[in-house]
Order: sequence, then C-alpha cells, then structure tokens
Amino acid sequence: MRKYTHKTHNSDDLTVLQMRPASQVMQLERLGSFHQSRLSFMRTLVRRMVAENWQISSPVFDLDEQGYGTVVYQVEAKYGTFSYVLFSHYLDPDNRNDRVIADQWDLTMALCEGTVDTEQLDFLRNNVPKQEAGRVDSRVLVLSRANRSARTFEYVVDQLAHGHQPDVDVIAEVGYLYRTTAAYGSGKLGMADWEKVWTKHRDFARPFAAEMFTCYMLRHFSMQQADHLASQRAPKSAVALHEDIKRYIGIGNSTGLGMAPFLINHPLLINQWIEMRETALATVVAASASGVDEAMLRRLDAATQRVIQHLSEIITADERQSNANLLVREELQLLHLWLQEQGAVLATNHYVWESLTQYAEQHWCIETQEVINTLLIELYPELVDGLEEYMWVDESHQVCPEMPVAELLEVIEDKYDWALAIDFSKQESIGTFWYRSAEKMEPRLGQTDIDMGMDKEMPLGIGRCVRECYDRVCDYNQARAKQNVAHFIVQNPTYSGIVGRIQTMAQSRYGDIRENLVHTDVLPIHLLRCKLSFFGVSKFDPRSRLWVRNTMFQGAPLISDFGTLLVDDWQFPIKPVLTSG
Amino acid sequence: MKVSKNELMASLKKAFEAMGFQPGDYYDAADMVVWSQTHGFDSFGRLMEALAYLNTTAPIHADLVQEDRHNYVLDGRGSSVLLCGSEAVDLIRSQVMQGSSAALELINCYNRTFIIQRLVKAAQCNFAFVACWRQLDCCVKVSIAAGAELPEYQTFTMIDLFEPQSLRIFCGTDLEAIEKQYAPQLEFGTLVESFSRTEMMDCYKNSVEHGIEIDEALWQTLDDLGARILVESTESSRAGAGD
Repeated sequence: MRKYTHKTHNSDDLTVLQMRPASQVMQLERLGSFHQSRLSFMRTLVRRMVAENWQISSPVFDLDEQGYGTVVYQVEAKYGTFSYVLFSHYLDPDNRNDRVIADQWDLTMALCEGTVDTEQLDFLRNNVPKQEAGRVDSRVLVLSRANRSARTFEYVVDQLAHGHQPDVDVIAEVGYLYRTTAAYGSGKLGMADWEKVWTKHRDFARPFAAEMFTCYMLRHFSMQQADHLASQRAPKSAVALHEDIKRYIGIGNSTGLGMAPFLINHPLLINQWIEMRETALATVVAASASGVDEAMLRRLDAATQRVIQHLSEIITADERQSNANLLVREELQLLHLWLQEQGAVLATNHYVWESLTQYAEQHWCIETQEVINTLLIELYPELVDGLEEYMWVDESHQVCPEMPVAELLEVIEDKYDWALAIDFSKQESIGTFWYRSAEKMEPRLGQTDIDMGMDKEMPLGIGRCVRECYDRVCDYNQARAKQNVAHFIVQNPTYSGIVGRIQTMAQSRYGDIRENLVHTDVLPIHLLRCKLSFFGVSKFDPRSRLWVRNTMFQGAPLISDFGTLLVDDWQFPIKPVLTSG
Repeated sequence: MKVSKNELMASLKKAFEAMGFQPGDYYDAADMVVWSQTHGFDSFGRLMEALAYLNTTAPIHADLVQEDRHNYVLDGRGSSVLLCGSEAVDLIRSQVMQGSSAALELINCYNRTFIIQRLVKAAQCNFAFVACWRQLDCCVKVSIAAGAELPEYQTFTMIDLFEPQSLRIFCGTDLEAIEKQYAPQLEFGTLVESFSRTEMMDCYKNSVEHGIEIDEALWQTLDDLGARILVESTESSRAGAGD
C-alpha cells in the first residue's frame, strides 16, 4: 500500500503544510458543502481515459426501431480489455421508479472483464435485467441500471427526428437523458471483489473507478440511442445531436439513505479521501507563498464567474438549497469584484490564498468557502493531480490492547471531545434511529419510541457509542487504574468494537465525522453530498433531507475527445453556446 | 454456488449480528470464517456446527479465571473461538508488550481452527505465535513468525494428554525463542500432515479470482439468520427512506 507523506512536491522544500483542523473539516455541515474537485473520481477517470486514449467500439449494437435490444461495447483501456454489456427493455411508464426497491428498469448494464462470448452474453441476459434478484459471477465488475427522463428523452429524439437540435434551455432544466439508480460493485451479487479489481485491473484500481466508468458509458449510450431512434423514425430528416450539446448532457442520479452508512462504516477510507483533498488545499495555499501571477488571478476570476452562472442555472424546489445557491452567487460576486479591483496588487501579496480563505471563513457562508477551496485546487493541477494515486487505504482496524485504560480515556477526551460534548440525556439527542428495512435491506430512519425496529438499530450513532464507552471506562479506571485495554475488554466484551474504532481513528488525521447521527434533526443529506462530491457529481437538488438528485459527467469530454489534448476544466458545467457543426 | 469475499463477509456479519454478537465481535467472527475458508481450511463445516450452537444461546464470552505474570487461563464456557478468540489473542499480546513472552490456555472452547486468522492479524503487529490444540486423535500446531503473512500448519500424533476442548497459545516477538522457551509444552509425536503456505496462498488467489464455493443451503441459512435484523416495511417506514 502506498502511503502519502505530507511535504510539498519540491523535495528540497521541507515546508510543513498547514492542514485545516479536524474540528473544522469534519463538521457535517461542511462535509455537506463540498463540491467536486480534481481528485473526484469522475475527474480522475476522465483524465485517465482521455490521456491514455481508451478505444471504445461496439461489436454488438442490436437495437430495434424503438431502441430496445442489446449493445456490447468493447473497451480497450491501457492495461486491459473490458466489455460493457447493456440491455434495453420496454418499461411501462407506471413502473418507472428510481427507488432502490424498484424491480424493473429501462436499461440494465454490466461491466465485465475481457471479451464476452455468446454463452456469457446469454448468462448475462438471464441475470443482469433482474439486478438484485439475479446472480452474476466474478467476471463482472459492476452491475447497474437506469431509467429514462420522461422530460427530456422523447423531446430530444423528436427534435432530432425533425431535423432540429434540442433547445439548450430544456436540456439545462434536467441535464440528462437517463438517470442511474444504482451502480453495484465490490463483490455484490457474486461480482468480482474490490481486491480482484485492485490487483488485477490497473485501469480501474482506484475507488469507484469501475462504477464511475459504468455511468460514463451509460451517458455515451443515452446519446447514441437518441441518435439511433431519431434516424429510425425519420431517416431523411433526422440530424445527429450536436457535439456541444452532447458534452452538456450528463447522467442523472438519485441518491438516498443507502449511501449514508458507507461513510460511517468506512471511516478510514473517508478519512483518506478528506486528507488528500485537504492536502491539495494546503498545497495550493502554500504555493502562493511568494505571490501568484496575474494570469492565475484571471483564471480564478473566470472560474468564479462560471460558478455564478452554473449556480444560476440550477433549478431546485428545495428552499434551503435554493437560498444557499443564491447566497453563494452573491458572495462569489464579491470575490469577482475583489479580483477585478485589486488583481494587480494581489499578485504580489505573500500567501494571497491564505488571506482569501481566511477572509472567506470570516465573512462568507460555508458553501462559498468550499466553492473557493475547490476553485483554488483547480488552479494547480501540477501540484494536486498526483494525489489521486492515494485515495485508497487499508481499512483494517489497528487495536492496541496493551494501552492502559487511563490512556484510552485521554485519547477519547482528545479525539472525541465533540462526542463527549453531546448531552445524550436529552430526548432530541437520541430522537432518531437507523435500521435496515426488509425491503431490499434499504437503510431507513425511524423516530425513537414511535417507529418499529429500535431493537434492530444499526450502530451508526458513533458519538453515543463513544459516550457510553467513555463512561464505562471511567468506572473501570476508578476500580482498576493500572489495567490495560485487553483486561477491560475481557470484563466488558460488548465494547470491543467501539474501542477498536476509537484506537484506530485516533491515529488518523481527520477521524470520524463529528456529528450526532441519532439526533432528531440530523440531516443525512450532508452525508450523501459529501460522498457524492468525491464521486464528482454536480447540480445538487435535494428532494428531502433524505435523498438528493444530482448530475454526473455533465460537461465532461466525449469518447470522441479521447486522445486529444484535454483542458480538464469541465467542473461546474454551464449551458453551451452552440458552435457550427 | 459461488459468492465473493465481500458478499460472504457482509452475510456473515448480518448473521452473527442477528445472533446477538456486538459490532466488534461480528466483524472479528466474520473475518475468522472468511480467512479460514479462503485459505483452504474448509471452515464452512465448522461454521455450520458453530451456528447450530450459537443459534441456541445468547453470546457467551470467556472468563479470565487465572492470571500471573506470564500466564493466563481463560474459560470459554463452552463457547466458540468466534466469540472469545479475539479476547484471548489481545490479552496475550498485551502481556508480551510488558515482558518477553506469555502463555495462555483457553479452556472449554470450540471451533479452534478459526483462531488462525487472529494470530495472522496480530503477527502483522510484530508478534510471533505458536498455538496448538487437540483435534480428534491428533494435535494441531500453528506457528507464525512476527510480520509473516501466513502461518505454518501441521498435525502430529499426540504424546501428551491434551484437554479435548483446550487451546494453548504462546506469544513473543521471536518465533524461535518461543519454540525454545516452551519446548516442553510443544512436544508432539510424528508429523501426520502439513498444509503449506504455498497451498494456502493458492487457495486464496483462487477465491479472489473465481469467488468462493458455498453450499446453497448454508448460504440460505446465513440469509435467513440475517433476515432477523431487518425491520418489516410499512407505509410509515417508507417515509423514513424519503418517500
């Protein structure tokens, strides 16, 4: 396993990076304000595909005049060959449901290693459309499904069939032709384990790379299918979708509570992702030590204006998100004015980015602060992009049974002060519980003492577990001050899990998410958004505090762009102004 | 049928949780089963036996019944190593940190083969172990050097009277030193068979590449057990998922 050590990229420069403290970064509201960055998995995947010029062909493209049938894409990546197998089915609109509990979809897909022969294709045809109700094997890396957008798909096909390009404003309202509702990997349903992917398939040996690729290929297919249907309907008048509109079309995504437990159950991985992002930020702030050039200030200004436009183009019915977008736009406008008025002076300022981030922290909202952090990271690809190799970590807990219990108490007081500060005797502090529903094991939230299932609560309330453990260790320490953790566990075996977690996370820089996740007013949507930001999505559109719609790969290069000299600046997509062709 | 390692882990954790295991315990227990199976120790047979027992009683942990400076005796009270193996290994290695070596006997416990995974994991923290127990008419000896990724596994004829359900663990920082120091307690008869590290690694690689073969009935049993931690879905509960 590669381990990243903190130093600036110039090996002669031993400057210690000024990382933001966990007490600031690991607040749930801040994590829920993150945007995609250069380290997000979609961004790193696209950079890799473009730079390595992956070759993608379609040896099977067997769609009927209504767009139903089978497609197999063959992917020649740098280190291996893969097959992306897609089944397009008729779906009664009444059965179109984006929830995890759905059992029918417009499209179902599988990403497989190697090429696929007839026998395997038959096997996949019998299982992939069933998704969770089917079984696949270790030749499959990812299983996914998607539903058409009722608002855009038919409109786009109709426009193309009549020889017109679709109205960009209509595309902007939705942003995609298909929504994916799940992309399963990591060994689920008989698929290849992450360990196999990581050790055997270098092309996808980064977290969620294969899953993201599956969504990218869905985007490619969605546009190819639209072109296909238009030409089937009106062979003489149909036109192909304009390349600039294609780039502006992404893939829709709905993410609900199913994603939330992942962040709690993989604390070391989340810590690693955040540590790399924070390292990137600290690196670019340090890079401004002796000032920055005016061209860079102009790039920041242009990016700022782009974000303002991007946010103005987001349509969301969620009042909180809508207000947040408006506020961020107003505050970014102030940043724009500042850059316009003082650009020449700022260029010579030492640590200008430090001044900017500090000013933002003191005067602007958290969401604006995190947009600015993302923009700063964008300015220095040569300093930041190498961190993408360090987004994975060995997740095994490292217990220390020889630790004296008195030291364990100190560790808890030091690293989990946020948990000890919560008053769990208040009803609202334990007003929520998490459980798994019998319906596809979907995680759900219940109200304490009201809803069924408290006896089957998922152990996601880490703060409360730490508090209970701390109280027990205090009692134990009073009676047996010189004993160690191993003896404590023998006497109190039910605490072995939380003690292991405390000891493990205490060795990490950022540790656990600092929030009481069983509070009555907990906002799980922040958890979802944090993870989605690392995926690289944009256009967050919360539908409640429990699930969020968003867009994947909107603005990203197309397969036809692979092998070209890419300017990797497709974050914060904005409406295209069509060029000819 | 074949399942992935990750899938098996998830299924085992749910099954153990359903039987009352706490988070630390069900993670460890699932780790033990998966490691044993993927390294060629045919753990599913032992798992079936363990489930039959664990499913009839609340989880029982070991009691520390005897302790001096370098020796421990834990009473497993008829339970499985899946429940008390971690405690035993943690206890003995905590003692080694304070001295040069230690010995521990876990009496009255079952499914002792599962202990190997705990020894392998602890060996990554630079502890060396020798463990032995009686299995039918033979004695199993497992030894692993500090930092090693795989153990040596051998069975011998018995020349000593081993308690049938006892597990002895010797721990230090140097394997040779342990073998020497505890030589009188590590005297066995003739070698019956050994299972090489190469064989273990081949089994492991095969399971990663092709998945893990599991009897459908066992898979269904795990599924049925895991269903106990699920809450019946109602219209009201769907609201708790965002509907």
